[in-house]
This record gives sequence, C-alpha cells and structure tokens, in this order.
Amino acid sequence: MEELPRLLLGGIKIGAIYSLAALGIVVIHKATKTVNFAHGALIMLGAYFGFFLLRLFGLPYALVYLLAPIAVGGLAAGTEWLFLRRLRRSDAFTVVISTIFIALAATELIRVAYRSELLSIPEVWSGPPLFVGELILTRETLWIIAGALCGAGLGASLFAAARFGRPLRAMAASTRGAQLCGYSVDGVYAQAWFLGGTLAGLAGLFLAPMTGITPELADFMIVPAFVAAVLGGFDSIKGALLGGIVLGLAETLSAAYLSSAGKSALTLLILLTVLLWRPRGLFPESKTRDV
Amino acid sequence: MLSITVLALAFGTYVQYVASLCLIAAEVGVAMVLIVGFARVIMLASGAMMAIGAYASTILVEGLGIPYLISLLVAAAFGGLAGALVAVPASRFRGHYLAMATLVFQFVIMIGIREWSSLTGGAAGLSVPNARMFGHSLGSDAEYLVFIMIAAMLTVAILATILAGQYGKALRAISATEIGAESFGINVARYHLTAFIISSAAMSFSGALLAPRIRILDPESFGFVSSIFMLAYPVVGGMHSVWGGLLGGLVLRALPEVLRGGQELQGLIYALLVLAVMTFFPGGLVGVLGALARHNKVHREGAGAPGATAVAAAPASANVAQNVNGAVALQIDDVSVSFGAMRAVDHFSLRVFAGTVHGLIGPNGAGKTTLFNAISGFVAVNSGTMRLFEWGLTGEPPRRRIAHGMTRTFQQVALFGPLTCIDNVILGLGHNGISKSVRASIAEVVAAADHQARRKIALESLAAVEIDHLAERTAQSLSLGDQRRLELARAIVSNPRLILLDEPVSGVSREEEAGILVLLRRLSTERAITVLVIEHNIRFICGLCDRVSVMAFGRMLAQGDPETVINDPEVRSVYFGKSWQTP
Repeated sequence: MEELPRLLLGGIKIGAIYSLAALGIVVIHKATKTVNFAHGALIMLGAYFGFFLLRLFGLPYALVYLLAPIAVGGLAAGTEWLFLRRLRRSDAFTVVISTIFIALAATELIRVAYRSELLSIPEVWSGPPLFVGELILTRETLWIIAGALCGAGLGASLFAAARFGRPLRAMAASTRGAQLCGYSVDGVYAQAWFLGGTLAGLAGLFLAPMTGITPELADFMIVPAFVAAVLGGFDSIKGALLGGIVLGLAETLSAAYLSSAGKSALTLLILLTVLLWRPRGLFPESKTRDV
Repeated sequence: MLSITVLALAFGTYVQYVASLCLIAAEVGVAMVLIVGFARVIMLASGAMMAIGAYASTILVEGLGIPYLISLLVAAAFGGLAGALVAVPASRFRGHYLAMATLVFQFVIMIGIREWSSLTGGAAGLSVPNARMFGHSLGSDAEYLVFIMIAAMLTVAILATILAGQYGKALRAISATEIGAESFGINVARYHLTAFIISSAAMSFSGALLAPRIRILDPESFGFVSSIFMLAYPVVGGMHSVWGGLLGGLVLRALPEVLRGGQELQGLIYALLVLAVMTFFPGGLVGVLGALARHNKVHREGAGAPGATAVAAAPASANVAQNVNGAVALQIDDVSVSFGAMRAVDHFSLRVFAGTVHGLIGPNGAGKTTLFNAISGFVAVNSGTMRLFEWGLTGEPPRRRIAHGMTRTFQQVALFGPLTCIDNVILGLGHNGISKSVRASIAEVVAAADHQARRKIALESLAAVEIDHLAERTAQSLSLGDQRRLELARAIVSNPRLILLDEPVSGVSREEEAGILVLLRRLSTERAITVLVIEHNIRFICGLCDRVSVMAFGRMLAQGDPETVINDPEVRSVYFGKSWQTP
C-alpha cells in the first residue's frame, strides 16, 4: 500500500498527457463536427518534431516546446485546408475515413524515413528528486504534470474564453449562424485544426522522454485519447481535462493491480460503460434543470 | 472469380498463391461493403474478426481434431458472435462512438491473443497444419486455389444475394434516413445487429480460409494496421456495390505483390493511393469504370413525358363529411407532450372520422408537428391516449404503425435518397422485418415472381401520383415537387387506413400545389383513406379538407368546416394579431 501514492502520481502524470490529447480531439470536434482519427499521428509527429528541433537543429528545450507543437498545429491546419476541405463536399463519413488514412500515411512516412531506429530525447528537467513527505517526486514528473496541465488549461481557455477562440465557439454553437456572422467555415475549421494539432503536438512532446520516439506512438495514443474524451463527454472541454486524469489513474492502478492485459480490458470496459449508461460523459457540458 | 482462377492456374505457383490471397481479400471486400458501405459503420475491427476465425479454426483442428471444413463453419459462427458483441453498443449510438468501440475491440482481441499464449501461442505464433478434407491433404498451390475459389464464391454469392435484395435496400434506407426507415417498419437496431453478425461471420470465415495458406498465425498480421488496410477495400473499390468490394479487395491485395520492389514504401504508397482515390474518384473504382462505360454509350433520353396534370385548382365544393359508418379513424384524448418545462402539446383532443380529409392548421410553434411525431411514435406522450381505429397507439415504437395501417410523410422529405423511386415505394409496402427481407432477397434470385408482384404494385402507386416515368431515377435526383409525390406514393402503397401528411405542399410551385390537391382528393375518395394533413397554406386546406382543426400554443383553438374556421375571429387574431378583430 505504500506504493499507492507513487501509483497515483504516475497515474496523474500520464493522465495529464491524456488530458492534453483528449482536449485536442474535443476542440476539433466541437468546432468542425469531425472526429479526428489522425490525432494519434499528430501526437507522434509532435514527438518527432521535438526530436528534429532538439537534436538536428540544436535548439534549447524552451524553444522546442514552443515551436514543435506549433509546427504540428500548422501541419494539421494545412491538411484541413488543402485536403479535408475538398472531401467535406461529400459527407462527414468520408472525412472521418480519410483522417484514418492520413494517419496511416503519416505513420508510414515516418517509418520509411526512420526505419526502426529508436530515437530518444532527454528529460526536460533532470536533477535530484524532490521529497514531499513520504513521496519521491522526480523533477521530470513534476514538469510533466505541471506543464501538461498548464498547456491543457491554456488550450482550454484559448477555446473557451479568449478572442482567439471566439470563431471556434461560434462554429461549435451553430455553423449557419457563424457563417451569417461573417466567419468563414474554411478559415475557422483550419483554425480549429491548428489549435487541436498544437495540443496534440504538445502531448507528444511531453510523452517523448518517457516512452521514446517511435511510429507506434500514433497507435498507442489514439485509444486513450478517445476514451478520455468520451469519458468527459465528447463535446466538453472541462470533461476532456478531467477525463484524461481519471483514465490515467484508472489505467495505472489496473496495470499495477491486475496486469497489462487487464489494463486494456478495463479501458474497453470504461468506454462501453460510459457509452451505454452515461453517454453524455461523466462531466457533461450543459446542465439540465428540472422545473 | 472463375476467370482469375483459371488465369492463375496457367501461371506458376507464386501467382497461384497470390491469387488465393486476392480471392480471400475479395470476399472480405464484399463483407466490408456490407458493414461500411451499406450500414455506414466505420469498422475498425476487421483484423480482429479475421484473427478470431483463423485462430479458432486452427485451434479446433489441431486441438480438438475437428475436420477442417466443419471448423470453417464454427469459425464463422465465432465471428458472428463477436460481431453481435460489438453490435451491442450499436443499438445505442452510431457514428464515431461506434467506430471507437470497434477500434477498442480490435486492440482488446489482439492483446487477448498475445496474453493467452497457452491457447494461441501468443506473440510467438501458431503454426497451422495443411487443410485436410475428405481424407485428402491439400498440398499444392493449385489445389488451395481451387478450394479457396469455391469457398469464396459461395460466400460472396450469399452476401451478394442479400445485399442486392430487400435486405440491402433496407440497410441503405436506414443510412439515408433512420426516421423514414422506422416509419416503414424497419427495425434499425436489428438491422445493424444483423449487419454486424453477417459481415463479421464472413470475415472470420475468410480468416479461417487464410490460415492454412499462411502457415503461421501471429497477432501482428491481424493488427490494427491490417484493419485499416481492409477498410480501404470498400473505399477504393466503391462503397455501394458488391463489385466494389470484389474489385477493392482484389486490387488492393495484389498491390503489395506488384510493389515487391519498394518493400518499405508499400504502406506509404497504399495510404497515398487510398487518399488519392478518395479525393479524385469518390465513387471508387466501380465509379470510374461506370463513368467510362457511360462515356462510350450513346446517351438515351428518358422515355415518356409526364401525363398532363390538371393545373387549374378545382374550387372548394361543399364537402359533405363522408363518415364511413361514422367510424372514428383517429382518436386523441387529452394528450400532453412536454419537453422539459416546455409544453408543446397541452391536453389536446381530436377526432378524425374515417374516410374524411382533416386539416390541422395553426401558427408556427403551435405544436402540430410535435403532435404528429407523438401520433407516429417518435415522441413520448406525457399523458393522454391515442387510438387508431381499434388499436391503442401509446407506447408502441414507430415501426409498428405501418402494420396497423398508418403511414406518414415528413415536413422535410424523408426519402431514401440513393435508392430508386420504385425501391422507395417497395420499401413503403412494409414487411421489412429482418427475416422477411432476407427471405425476399433470396426469393428474388430463386423465383422472381414475388418480386415482380411487388414491383407491379409499386409501379401502380407511382402511376397514381403520376411519376411512374421516373421509376428508375434515384429519389435524390427528383425535383422537390416530384419528391413530395414520391413520398405520397410511398405512403399509400401499403393501402393504409390513415395517412398523416406533414406540409405536403410547402415549397412547391402554385401549379404543383394544385396538382397535388387534385391528386389527394382523388386518392382519398378512390382508396377510402383517412387523411390528416398539417399545412400552412390556407387555400390548399380549404380546397382539400372536410374538417379543419386549429392548434395554437399546444391547444385546440377552433374546429369545424374550413369556411367557418378561417373566419373565426379568435383564429384570425392568433394569425394576424388582436387589431384584426372585426369590430
């Protein structure tokens, strides 16, 4: 049982990253009504871009944390603008399927470029661990938790409160209404993909020192990102943040007390349970009033 | 398929090996067309389904000594079971949630295979013995090819029969409009369930076919990536036809062999190819071939001009209320429908006499469409009762209405767009339960008489609304006026006792409106159908209806014959405001 605080900490750590990832999916879905199955690939690209900027260009970490996510965001916006926009003429179904194949293309491209090299980037904050009471807190863990949650918070407030997010909120509320107010659907969609992509890239960057940089990151992250988003109620910003933490904790605890297979089974169980009993998620966005 | 086999036999064993793989892929392609193209589910668990079939068959043969042919069927059964499991969520939610559920299922099965190594050999793999049947062990590539061809052809024949028949039409109807489908007796949840079961069973069957060919089973070959590759089959081939599935499977499975050279680039090229086809050829390969074929044919104009419709609106003659024995067709007693705090229908009572045409008017937001939705079963009633002739209506799902003799049209036309007009009307006949539609699909192939009879009735219905010359056009290609007529044809073909019409002339031209009015009057007298119609067009209502009820704020405001009602000062004030009251 002494393990528990350590496990909880680990759960929050990965949960914070899941929150970032889930937030990206929710932002894109709220504004464009598209489910982005390429989100895992965007996360993977975040990790790889971090590698490029750090190792190949030798930039300091601070700059990497700024530029890599923005690069991913730009790429995502570009994909939406150049490619998905054309497909949208048909129907939403086709767009979702195309994101699946975009993810495949991106993953394969990386595989071709890097074969099976195992790339890595160092921890951001190394040094002696901190002692909080009985808890051993590595600096890296602290960085990830604080950084990811801050990033998520920033992203959330960008969407929900800032001027940057206003067109996104408008589109989320009503596509027609937003168009009538002068917002261009194409432009706003690109903006949404930019924000979502940036959040994904950031998640990948936080993930990279922990897990190494491989193409498998795409497949690895897509399921938790989705399940966390669903847990939170797919269209809820707050829900995505909380859902990620909850999922991270649930996974870590089940991996420790059950097995790694148990962990995946639990994820499926969570997904199915939420969808069958509380489809609006654990933290639904709008509240109903009983009159 | 036969031609490919014969061709391949001419070449060497490698080509025969590839041909076997391609034929299996073609079969998977058709199964994917069923679930992805027809049922519009983004199925990401196809790899898992094949794995279930492959592993199940191998374990049964190796471990339990069951003959290979039987193991094939058992494997398919396991697949069907798995499909049913994945379909459980489908009854509650669709779209991306369902896609995610299939995704998670895929991962869980893979992990299950890896963990349960005592049974499945885990990540190390499971070796598969040669297929033995009737005492003979299949050895050469040629023998395998012939066997696989027979097995695949049988499966594809079964899938094609139900896809091209009523079952497939009903599935496509569901994808077009669930509400429209439910109104005509199609049980959406059950159809999704069977679509999952059938396609998963077919995929597991093909996995079991594949197993002896690839000799070693390992989880990796059935992983998420393979699911994505198989998702490409209907996307590239063409999502809405059996040929699309066949072509997609054949071409895409042959691709890696053709691209032997750039081994590493295969995945990338595959993905880029799929994206290119999606962008530039949305109809898939089938669409491309179809366009080429049309290009070469001489373009024939559609035969026949529409019959001259009587354009002049007949004056509203004094309509005697025709009570067929004074029977009450529809009885609504004290019905209330609330959405949260908002009362859309407020203690509303209405009686529609059999054989009459009854109008329901009222300003926007009065609750008319909500009332219709309550009567047709899409919206729950908070209190009160409804009866259709002798049947109680409350609590019954919408799809039962047609069996009781009630059909409806919709404010926003709820036609099955991609289907032809005649198929729309055939679906309107009802009898769209799963077993009936499967039987109908089989009957279509075996003995066409039933189907011909249904087509004849449907054509008569189309003729009654004067659009029989458009029978083979797709519903979505019609003008709005013709679409409204088609909705009518679909609503009357089953000879219902009561039809609900929701704004049948909204958005149509003056001529069209007159035409539909004449049509409706003729239909109601000729076929003795009771009609309840919502409209905003007062001229239309006065020309058509025997009795009119006015609804405002969810309540009944006035009732009687058209002339009296529209001159009622209260009714006028509700439409025009208080200052219009006659002094």
